[in-house]
Amino acid sequence: MSQAAWTKGSDPVPQTRKSIKPEQIKFIVAGLVILTAVVFLIISGTASGAQYFLTVDELLSDPSYAGKPIRISGAVDGETIVYDGANLIIDFEIANIPTETTDLALTLHQAVNDPTASRLRVHVENEVKPDLLQHEAQAILTGTLGPDGVFTATEVLLKCPSRYGEAVPEQAGA
Amino acid sequence: MIAETGFFLLLFSFAAAVYSALASLVGARRAHGEKLIVSGRNAAYLTTALVTASLGMLLAGLLRQDYQIAYVWSVTNPDMNAFYRLTALWGSQAGSLLFWSFLMSLFAAISIAFAWRRFHALVPYAITVMMVTVAFFVGLSVFLENPFERWWLAGGTGDVMRSVLMPAGAFAPDSLNLQGSAQGLNPMLRHWAMAIHPPLLYLGFVGFIIPFAYAVGALASGNLSTDWIKATRRFTLVAWMFLSLGLLLGGRWAYDVLGWGGYWGWDPVENAAFLPWLAGTALLHSTTIQEKRGMLKTWNLSLVVLTFSAVIFGTFATRSGLVESVHSFARSEIGFPMFVFWFGLTLVAVLLIIWRRGRGELRAEHEFQGLLSRESLFVLNNVVFVALFIAVFWGSFGAPILSELVMNTNITLGADYFMRVTPPLFAALYILMGVAPLSGWGVTSLRRLGRAALIPLVLTLASLGLFALAGMSTALSYVAYFVVLLAGWVAIVETARGIAARRRAHKENVVTSAWQLFGRNPRRYGGYMIHLGMTVIGIGVIGSTLFQVETQRTLQPGQTLELGGYTMRYDGLLANQVAEDGRLMDIAQVAVLRDGRELANLRPRRDFYPQSEGTNSMTIAGSHSTLENDFYVLLVNWEPINANQATFKVYINPLINWIWTGGLILIAGTFLAAYPKDVVSERARQSVALAKPGQLARKGA
Repeated sequence: MSQAAWTKGSDPVPQTRKSIKPEQIKFIVAGLVILTAVVFLIISGTASGAQYFLTVDELLSDPSYAGKPIRISGAVDGETIVYDGANLIIDFEIANIPTETTDLALTLHQAVNDPTASRLRVHVENEVKPDLLQHEAQAILTGTLGPDGVFTATEVLLKCPSRYGEAVPEQAGA
Repeated sequence: MIAETGFFLLLFSFAAAVYSALASLVGARRAHGEKLIVSGRNAAYLTTALVTASLGMLLAGLLRQDYQIAYVWSVTNPDMNAFYRLTALWGSQAGSLLFWSFLMSLFAAISIAFAWRRFHALVPYAITVMMVTVAFFVGLSVFLENPFERWWLAGGTGDVMRSVLMPAGAFAPDSLNLQGSAQGLNPMLRHWAMAIHPPLLYLGFVGFIIPFAYAVGALASGNLSTDWIKATRRFTLVAWMFLSLGLLLGGRWAYDVLGWGGYWGWDPVENAAFLPWLAGTALLHSTTIQEKRGMLKTWNLSLVVLTFSAVIFGTFATRSGLVESVHSFARSEIGFPMFVFWFGLTLVAVLLIIWRRGRGELRAEHEFQGLLSRESLFVLNNVVFVALFIAVFWGSFGAPILSELVMNTNITLGADYFMRVTPPLFAALYILMGVAPLSGWGVTSLRRLGRAALIPLVLTLASLGLFALAGMSTALSYVAYFVVLLAGWVAIVETARGIAARRRAHKENVVTSAWQLFGRNPRRYGGYMIHLGMTVIGIGVIGSTLFQVETQRTLQPGQTLELGGYTMRYDGLLANQVAEDGRLMDIAQVAVLRDGRELANLRPRRDFYPQSEGTNSMTIAGSHSTLENDFYVLLVNWEPINANQATFKVYINPLINWIWTGGLILIAGTFLAAYPKDVVSERARQSVALAKPGQLARKGA
């Protein structure tokens, strides 16, 4: 069955001319116009939307990052969270996450409890306190570092690893 | 017993899938391999049965609350109702992988049953591809992400261990303790849209593997006719619909649950699911050209590979922690094998295409003639879809990964990038959606096109007039609505024209002629209906993106705030209400008024899950939904000491409900387009297709 199809498919197809006809030139021109437009769009979009994605250490060690659009990742210290619910102002601190391992929960826990880890104060305005903003969550913030050393974030993304991590029933043995 | 049975069923299904893949391949390559081919097919059916039974075991574990099984323990707790117990099946990595395998094997079995006789040459190779895929995903479950592992305590030390079978000297932990500590499904996932969003997305993903399998079947068998397209068109279409709905429901969930007033954030994981949609939509259009004109053969095969790659890459990117995302599951061990699998299958397919092309077997039967012919516009549509694909891929994965590799810094592209790059490309797609249905196969003149567009243009301008009366003022919004509305009006007018022509010719009433017309050209009119759905979605997206307004205010009971012509009155707060699943709720009572008339009483609330670790509180919006807009209220703060005072964030999202409505039209259109007409009379359909250019010429005259 399959053998029959095999030979059928390999019948030679009549050869078509290879030279470019005047007809085809307009297709080539149209194609080039579209290609240029798309490339321009992507390049200009990249120029306007690019943000450095840094750790707290990288941001603090290089003063040239100040004032530039930055994305930063850090571990949230729950005790530092101050939320002004009436005016929607959030302040908190994130600790540097050294190198990420497969166990994100443990990495975050160690980062927050490491007294030597560098820390960054974060200020957010006009944002409702996210439900996920809590102790030992990973914060991914977009914003700029001000001259006062406070990072003003315009976008706050949070990840809580405990749900999908290797949680173990602690009371199991009790 | 459940865990062992489930695990061994899974192990056997792995063996059956591997055997099926090998037997089919060897049978197809042998001169008299029919017996092996039949055996391979039967093994594929057996695989489906075994995976299904194994999934049934996990489901039984979830429903019977067998907390000894680590997966059950980690995603359910005694407070959850049966519905959420069921959805916990895909609540975390291990379960969702098994569910993925189940859907994949089910689709494989259905496609084999459908194609076995009609497209026999393709089937053995397609089985090989599908069963390799099933074996790979089942293998992940068996070896890396086993959902049937149980908790054990080591005899001497009492250390906690996980395995399916009891380790030597270990004993099972106390059931009551396990039950008490069980974690329950992530509160954020307890929502109707999230309950069905993952399966819909998986159905879409898995469905797109079917055309890939049969395309490889075509390449390997040498049957390079449109058979692979015919064998899989309906699967592609249904997969496309599920993926569309999965994306829409994901947006709906974000809108209802995440409490930021939006539904799409250009997050890498959202984009990872959007990429196969873009490639798949391009594929649905371009395969039509091959069926009708015998063109674009290499392109279609490449597009099918791109779609498949996007599916596997999306699954890989989501689960491997490749990019930073709010969605990503924990970084896990499945990333590397998944990458190897994706790379291997893609490489095989690409090499097969190059080989067949080198032999001259993929030549087009027609050449492109006019720039405005329907085939040219379809190609343009494909170019734009692929451009969008590249733009979205670059923004989500390309730029971050490349900067990491080359510049040793990590550069990410935020929403600004996507909001600059994608709107012009979406506009181009809507323009093509408006123009292409009016053009004919072969050559179409600009003049003819202009005449056919006259009525839709008038209707579009009239609708824009309505927007002007409603007070829309920005130039950008007029341009955006013009292209989106034109596409919709063309779909409506073309359908009306078809019905009118049939009424004149057959002297039927409107309903009969519509019924007959749709029945005879389901693909054409289903397509128009889907276009209409896309217009309706576009209306909602533009409205909610350009005209959203928001405010926030702290109110005492009885106080009001004004926004966009509405008045909101805060009536009081019910604190610490206990729900049946044990969560505590603080519920604000607010009334929405317009022109002094009370429209609705909303109950925005904050839920607190005392038992959950990690995410334990959620802000649930209250919203008053009409076709005009959503009045969307979040209770963001209240002081327990001073219960009189509460802070609200309020959004008005204009036209947002058109997005969900458009989704319903999309479903209807897909069902029409997938209506099994060509099974009944292949010949009748072809004669209709051939008559189309003539019809169009008459229409234009």
